[in-house]
Parts: sequence; C-alpha cells; structure tokens
Amino acid sequence: MRDVLVVEDDLDLLQLEEMVLQEAGHRVRTASDGQRALERVAEEMPGLILLDMRMPVMNGWEFAREFRRRYGRACPIVVVTAAENAQLRAAEVEADGWLAKPFDIDDVLRLVARFVAPPQNVRL
Amino acid sequence: MEPSALASVATTVVPQRPRRQTVRSRWFRGFLWTPLRVVLVYAAVGGLWILFSDRALELLVPDPARRDQLQTFKGWLYVFATSVLIYALVRRAQSRLRSFGAEIRAAVESMVDGVVIIDQSGIVEANRAALELLGVKSKAEVLGSLEEFTRRFQPRNTDGSPVPLGDLASARALQGERTTRETLLRRADGREVVLSVSAAPFAAPGAPRSATLTIAVFRDVSAAHHLEAMRDEFLATAAHELKTPLAVVKAYAQLVQRRAPAEAPALTVVQRQVDRMTRLVQHLLDASRLRLDLGDGAPERFDLARLTAEVVERLRTTDGAHTFQFVAPGPVPVEGDRDRIARVLQSLLDNAVRFSPGGGAVEARVLLAGGEARVSVADHGVGIPVERQSRIFERYYRAHAGTPEDYGGLGLSLDLSREIVSRHGGRIWFESTPGQGSTFHFTLPAAQEGRA
Repeated sequence: MRDVLVVEDDLDLLQLEEMVLQEAGHRVRTASDGQRALERVAEEMPGLILLDMRMPVMNGWEFAREFRRRYGRACPIVVVTAAENAQLRAAEVEADGWLAKPFDIDDVLRLVARFVAPPQNVRL
Repeated sequence: MEPSALASVATTVVPQRPRRQTVRSRWFRGFLWTPLRVVLVYAAVGGLWILFSDRALELLVPDPARRDQLQTFKGWLYVFATSVLIYALVRRAQSRLRSFGAEIRAAVESMVDGVVIIDQSGIVEANRAALELLGVKSKAEVLGSLEEFTRRFQPRNTDGSPVPLGDLASARALQGERTTRETLLRRADGREVVLSVSAAPFAAPGAPRSATLTIAVFRDVSAAHHLEAMRDEFLATAAHELKTPLAVVKAYAQLVQRRAPAEAPALTVVQRQVDRMTRLVQHLLDASRLRLDLGDGAPERFDLARLTAEVVERLRTTDGAHTFQFVAPGPVPVEGDRDRIARVLQSLLDNAVRFSPGGGAVEARVLLAGGEARVSVADHGVGIPVERQSRIFERYYRAHAGTPEDYGGLGLSLDLSREIVSRHGGRIWFESTPGQGSTFHFTLPAAQEGRA
C-alpha cells in the first residue's frame, strides 16, 4: 500500500494530520517544507501528497512545479491551504483536489480515502 | 442667498461693465473670424463701389465720351481691388488657422501623458512624453505598424499573458471602441512598466469611416500597480497567518472530541467559536479586497439550492437552539463566485441565528422565477428597530448597537453581502417587524440553460 506524504510547515498541524491518518490505518510520512518533501518523494513515490502552499525554504507552488517537472503526474496532489481561495490555488498548480483550512478531520479522511486505497485493518 | 448678503455682494462687485464689454468684443471678434467676415467685407466694399463709383467718375471726368472709355478700366480696377482684399482676408484667416494648429501641436507635444495617433497603417504620431515612457530617443523608433510596435515593446496583460494584436486598446479603438486598460510593456532599455492606456476613435468631421484615427493616451502606473501587488500580497499573508492557528485549534478540538465523546458539547462550542472567528477574518479580508477592487476567482456555474442546503446543514450541526428549515424547488443553477455567495448565505443565516436569541425556526427558501434565483432567509427574532432600518447596509453600521439586543458582529457582513450580490448583478433587501423577526432576500441572475 502506498503511503500519504503530508507537507505542512505548522508542526502542530503536521503532527495532528499524521496522527489522524495513522489512526485511520494509513501509512504516513511528513515533511515541513517543499525541499524535504522532494527528498521524501525521491526515497519512495507516495500514493498521495497533501500540500500546504505557504511554507519556508520551498513553497507549495515551487514544490508542485518541480514535482511535475521530475515526475509528471506520478502521484496526485491535494492542496490544503488557509489561502482565501483554496480552489483557485489548487488550479494554479493543477492539483487533483483541495481542502480549505480550517478543515474538518472527517473531510481530510474522506479526501485521502478517495485517492489512497482504503486501509486494510482500520482501528476505529 | 439672503437679501442682505446679496446687497453686500452688489456693493463689492463694482467693475461689472468693463467685464461685459470684453466678453462682447470677444464674441464679436470670434464672429468676424468666420468666413462670413470675408463675405461681409466684400459685400460692403462692392456695395459702396456700386453706389458711389459712377458719381465719383462723373465728378472726376466731366466729358461723357471719355467717361464711357474709362468704364472698362473702372471695372478692372474693381476686380483688382476686391481681389487684393479677398487675398488679404483669406491669407489672414489661414495664418490664424495655422497658428491654432501649431498651438494644438505644441500643447500635445508638452503633455505630461504620452499621446500617440494611430491610423490603419500604424502609429503616425507620438509626442515627447510617449517617447520618454517607451524609453526611445527618436520618433522614428515608434512610428510604424502595430505589428512592429508589438514585436518591439511586447505588450502584455498585467498577469503577463500576451495581448493579441487585435486586442490592443488602440486596435480596438480603430473598430470604434473606447477602452481603458492596464498594459505591461518592455521599454527600449528593457525595464518593465505598467501603462494605463486609454484609446478612443476620432475622425475629421465628414470624413469617411475608413479614415478613422485613434488617439491613445497613456501614463506610467507602475508605482500604483506595485503598491496594489504589495497590498494583495499582504492580504494573502494575513489570510494565511490568521487562519492557520484557527485551523490548528479546530483540528485539535475535533481530535479530542473523537477521543473523548463525553466532552462533545464543550468541544462543539470551541469549534463554533473558531468558525465564527474564521468568518470574521474572512469578512475583514473580503472588505479590504472588495474595497481595493481585487477580484479573485473566476465565475463558475453552481447550484444555489445545493449551496444553501450545505450552509444550512453546517449551522444545523453546530446550533441546537434553532430549528432550520430549507425549501427549494430543485436545482437552481446560477453563475458566479461560489465562495463569496456562500459567505452571503452564511452572513444572512448567522444574523438570523444571532438575532433570534430565544431560538425558534430559521427558514431558508430558494426559488427560481422570471429568470432570477432568489434566496429568502427568515427568522422570528428581535427584528430591526424601524428608525434604523434604512441604515443597515452601511458599512460598520450595527443596527442593534447600544440596545439590549446587541449580539456582537463587526457591522461588515451586510455591507459586504450587498457588495457581493450587486457585483453578481443581483439585489438584496429585507422586511422586518420589531419583535417579530426579519426576512432577508437576495436575487442572482439564473444561469442560461445549456451553458457549461
């Protein structure tokens, strides 16, 4: 089963997303900026990338451009942003989905389930 | 004006007569500088000649035989004198015209704004400011076809996309359109500038349509544009910075709620307040953005009934004190900025809830009638005091401020709602009876059938 790569610079939020997704049975890796995210991708192609847009070092736009240049559409990208118009930001990087912050945990889980095969042994 | 004031004015304004004289003499002179002057002077000289030339000849030459001989000469003399006269008059009128033309030319040349004149063949004239704005030394570098101009200065829209040749403000003006737009240009020295270009067609009176020219006036708005970009960036940063902590709080409240369901009521309150704070942040951002006229989001087609249902449903899950009713005939397709319309719905429903503190029913109805989609949100709350009803759409105005029913808010949401609705080509209004409740309505043009 391919995992979920969560790219988020707010560590509290990153930790929460990791925790919630793991509890739902997903395999999760994390990165706190676009640069690190590229390193994770190079190690192993994830099944889904949850991408924050405004981050230090390398932001979401730069990451998405670089990712597409290297890997094309090897893996879906879902934009998770506190920007005013999440949908528009997603369109800018030709993302496969979007989620506006603040989000509902249920929405995150639903969204991830749409892209990554439902985990086998879910602990509820 | 009062009579006494009038009298004092009359005594202070003494030198009235000379002023009227100058006005009249100017009018008189203006009148005489028409071609009529030439005709009038000619008629006067000719008339005098007819009346008096024979008498004068009789006095000067007593011999009738000799006088007959001189008649032909007299005729020639008349022709000569009037020719000289007409020549002098026409020449003078012409030189005045020429100097007027030179004045106009000098005025255009010394204008602060860049001015270029374009005909079907391309740019035929450019003033000094135009050359300076484009960063070129001589007119020859600018004059020529629009294709050449486009190749050299690379006009683009402010988002960086190239402007098709036929879409240039000046090209459109040749088609008879008046336009003003901001265009990005690369100066001859390579520097990028944002120019505000206004172009309008003009033609000499009576000239054929094919002889239409374009005058394009432009100025450098790079500084203003830069400022706008900075403000836009600031608002984007503010949105992110203010909403991220809210996102964290909300997510953790949900996490705790999942793990400790017994604490659900308390954590629901936390989430509700986070949502409220998020909306206030959004209102502030919207207000500054709309004020700056920064559009965001391309219009899309969506179902207004479904959107209303979603917003109502969200409220239903976080508010147990009110009963929510939703009525719609089926899908109601409209076109617009879905996020912003959602905020209008949210504002109206928030107000309905906030101003019916005793609980009770809140109804949201969506209908489609006469090419218009209409949403009505009704509550059975405190209503709006009659004397304050006319002001509730004013920005920062809070109809319940200083009353026992002051339930908070920034006084922004209705002003914003009106702004958003009117930008979509709709209307917003309300009915309210103090003590019985209010109903707010807004309309949007229904989306055309069969359009994607």
